[in-house]
Amino acid sequence: MDKYKEYLALNVLNEERITAHTNGGPSQPSTNSFTQPSSPPLSSMPDRDGEEDHESEETISTTQFLVAREEDVEEAKAQFDEITSIHIYTLEPTPLKDLQVLTNCNREIQKEYAHEDPLKDWRQYGTVQNPNVKRRTNRRPPPPAAPVATTAAAKMAPRPSTTTIAKSTEPPPAKRRKSSESAASASRASTPQVDAAAIPPSKLEAKAKAPTLKRDKSDIFKSFAKSKPPKPKKQDTASSAEATPAPEDEPMDDASEDEQEEDFAITAPTVDDKAARQARKEREEALRNMMEDEDEPMEDAPEMQAVAEQQATLIDSKAEEEPEQKEEVTVSGGRRRGRRRVMKKQTVKDEEGYLVTKEEPPVPKKAKAPVSSGSAAKGKKGAKAGQGNIMSFFGKK
Amino acid sequence: MAVADNAESLLQRPSDNAFPILDRVPSSYNPLSTFILPKGEDRHYTQQFADMYFARLARVKPAVEQIAEEAWEGFEIAGETARRVDRVLDVRQGELCWVVGTVYMEMPLKPNILDDLSKEVYTRYTTKLKSLDIRTPDREKYTSPGGKDETMLEDESGRLRLTGQHLQSQMLVTGCIIAAMGTENADGAFEVIDTRIADLPRQPERWERDDEALAIAGKAVKKQRPESGKVAIISGLEISGDTADNLYLDLLTEYLLGEVSSSPGTSDAAQISRLVIAGNSLAHASPIPTRDELATRKGGKKYGYDASTYNPTPTEHLDDFLAALLPSIPITLLPGTSDPANVALPQQPLHHALFPHSREYANRPTEEEASPSWFDSVTNPWEGDVDGWRFLGTGGQPIDDVYKYVAGEDRLDMMEHLLRWRCNAPTAPDTLWCYPFQMQDPLLIKDCPHVYFVGNQPRFETRVIDGPAGQLVRIIAVPKFRETGVLVLVDAETLGVECVQFGTFDRG
Repeated sequence: MDKYKEYLALNVLNEERITAHTNGGPSQPSTNSFTQPSSPPLSSMPDRDGEEDHESEETISTTQFLVAREEDVEEAKAQFDEITSIHIYTLEPTPLKDLQVLTNCNREIQKEYAHEDPLKDWRQYGTVQNPNVKRRTNRRPPPPAAPVATTAAAKMAPRPSTTTIAKSTEPPPAKRRKSSESAASASRASTPQVDAAAIPPSKLEAKAKAPTLKRDKSDIFKSFAKSKPPKPKKQDTASSAEATPAPEDEPMDDASEDEQEEDFAITAPTVDDKAARQARKEREEALRNMMEDEDEPMEDAPEMQAVAEQQATLIDSKAEEEPEQKEEVTVSGGRRRGRRRVMKKQTVKDEEGYLVTKEEPPVPKKAKAPVSSGSAAKGKKGAKAGQGNIMSFFGKK
Repeated sequence: MAVADNAESLLQRPSDNAFPILDRVPSSYNPLSTFILPKGEDRHYTQQFADMYFARLARVKPAVEQIAEEAWEGFEIAGETARRVDRVLDVRQGELCWVVGTVYMEMPLKPNILDDLSKEVYTRYTTKLKSLDIRTPDREKYTSPGGKDETMLEDESGRLRLTGQHLQSQMLVTGCIIAAMGTENADGAFEVIDTRIADLPRQPERWERDDEALAIAGKAVKKQRPESGKVAIISGLEISGDTADNLYLDLLTEYLLGEVSSSPGTSDAAQISRLVIAGNSLAHASPIPTRDELATRKGGKKYGYDASTYNPTPTEHLDDFLAALLPSIPITLLPGTSDPANVALPQQPLHHALFPHSREYANRPTEEEASPSWFDSVTNPWEGDVDGWRFLGTGGQPIDDVYKYVAGEDRLDMMEHLLRWRCNAPTAPDTLWCYPFQMQDPLLIKDCPHVYFVGNQPRFETRVIDGPAGQLVRIIAVPKFRETGVLVLVDAETLGVECVQFGTFDRG
């Protein structure tokens, strides 16, 4: 996106244009500073009831920063006793009716550069640095990532239409700094703008997709692992090492600590589009069918040994890739059903004392003997949930 | 045009020269946890408020007695010497004596919940006009001019009505402790000749606590400390989230970060070592709606998250504002009336959950860290040592409340009296909501501060007051930033004060 560079070159750096801007650009607010011992609004104590004259009430010097439109500058200057400096605060293509609108520009800038680490990147802006600053050490990535990621789609769409705003946003940083510091200002105005326009989108997309990809992988390979232990073993261990925690850790990392968490839990699934989900479902379905077929005989084999044997033969027959992985398989219980895992929400207190909701895959249940227990539970439930019967309420008392 | 002169220099490629980077003056910060309430189950609201008055009188009485003793020792009128009386009820008619007690002001206009209730019930039964607003209208002041207000002096034994010319010249509110000298007249009222108050308590030396801590730690007490910068105090940001919030706020940020002007302004900004925000950072975020809000609220009650009544934007803006400043300047944040904290004094710190960005700079709640937070969300009132000086500040509630019950407009006077009464909030628990303290009352001022600031006042004012033992206190009324655009700077070496004002030029 060279648009910004182009724009800068055309509109800001071009000599004729800039004079035109300052002359025609009606909003040329300036910052004036003054020091004055007896200014009416603030400095002197209004001795309303002159009777009590506190000898200690000294005159207070007041420095004032005033933003004025270009046409008002002379008038504004007349207010001051002493003017220490005048700056161009912003250049606008049209007169600004309401100076407060400028706030939006600042907010925009803040949003665009939210990904910057202020402790490192702010040096280049000439901001007053503080060597003593204390920040949490093992900090999570700052939350700005979250809102940006969630609004990524929304942001993408209106971008073309907001270019006018972007244009008007652009001047302030460039103009705010004085000539000597224009190096910083230009670099800030041009380069970051460019990357803000060009780089973040791709970044964002990557970010948005990353979790779903991972989850896909883990799901599929996981289910593979159960049905045909030997073949995808390598991936299985690899992915279970890195991917099993992924679904539960991924949202944790990004989410700030508490309430944002929920945003994340929600956004993560919403990010993948419907088609992908649909596809995944289908694949899962197919896999499950496949596994069911394969599992049938396995379920009949009741003993671990048999399973191990079977695996051994399988491995032998396939390839002797990683024999040491064999243990791994038997340890992990040999088989799990390739079933779509329902994530279970669990709320825990973390080391900071905040409540954290995690999504965890439930402990795999034994496939068998659910029927009888289910019926028992049902019976119990029926008895307990007798809210409708008012007599039971009275009877108990 | 001034700009045109150096226009040439603007119209060039940015230079590659490195530019100087300023480092901010360090801030020595040592807050006190005086007003932290017990947490969770240890916080009880079932106690009677009477205990507070008892504790207050017990604590302040010795100091008042001592001062009165010195002042009235051997005081004689018509051959009769003033005698000290222990209890209010021991005052005998016709005897010249002095007694210490708590002031209670009987004011007919003072809002009274029982009156409101009885009126409401009455109107409901008689007129059936439910919409009729019968509650006491909100007034600026509840004093009545015709001398209808009565002053009483009370202690655990009983009450004594005070009269006399002398009272007219004194500022008195419910809850302050005074010594009154006079005689009981034929009407049974106590004719007051003179009064005394506790006056300023002991003032710690500068760096006292820090030196103590060093001494305890077995380190050498520092003789030379680096020169301190300035402390910026601000209040009433009142971020509302509607429309474009406020250009002043941006100017403030830019100023504090040293971005607003060229080199002289930047170095000024680098001198500011700490920002103190004295309440009302958000405009309408108090968890408890006022009666007016309740009356105008429409629709049925909705439980849980209600997007139509809850607007997260102001909090986000405040968080952004703080997060923009924190990399460069440490912040102490006090809650105020309109902030989402508890309503009763002392208000407890604003919760970190409100500040997802800024809390990076705060200590973790579970960790006990030796050094105070860089971003310190504190109580209101709050006290602590900044650059060695003891600072005491509130979000303005005590002064605003006292203002309603005394004649006059001079808020500095009221602030001064609060200090001299040695009570941070004399009108609590009477007309100001407050936690029912039992054994101790942290709202009593034990150490005289060097700087006493009160936020959210109508305009900026400052004064230095002195005490009997040579105490000097800088008192500052900090105006609302939203209305005035004023930032107050306190020089941490001289305790001198200056103002920085932000504004836009508007015609007319």
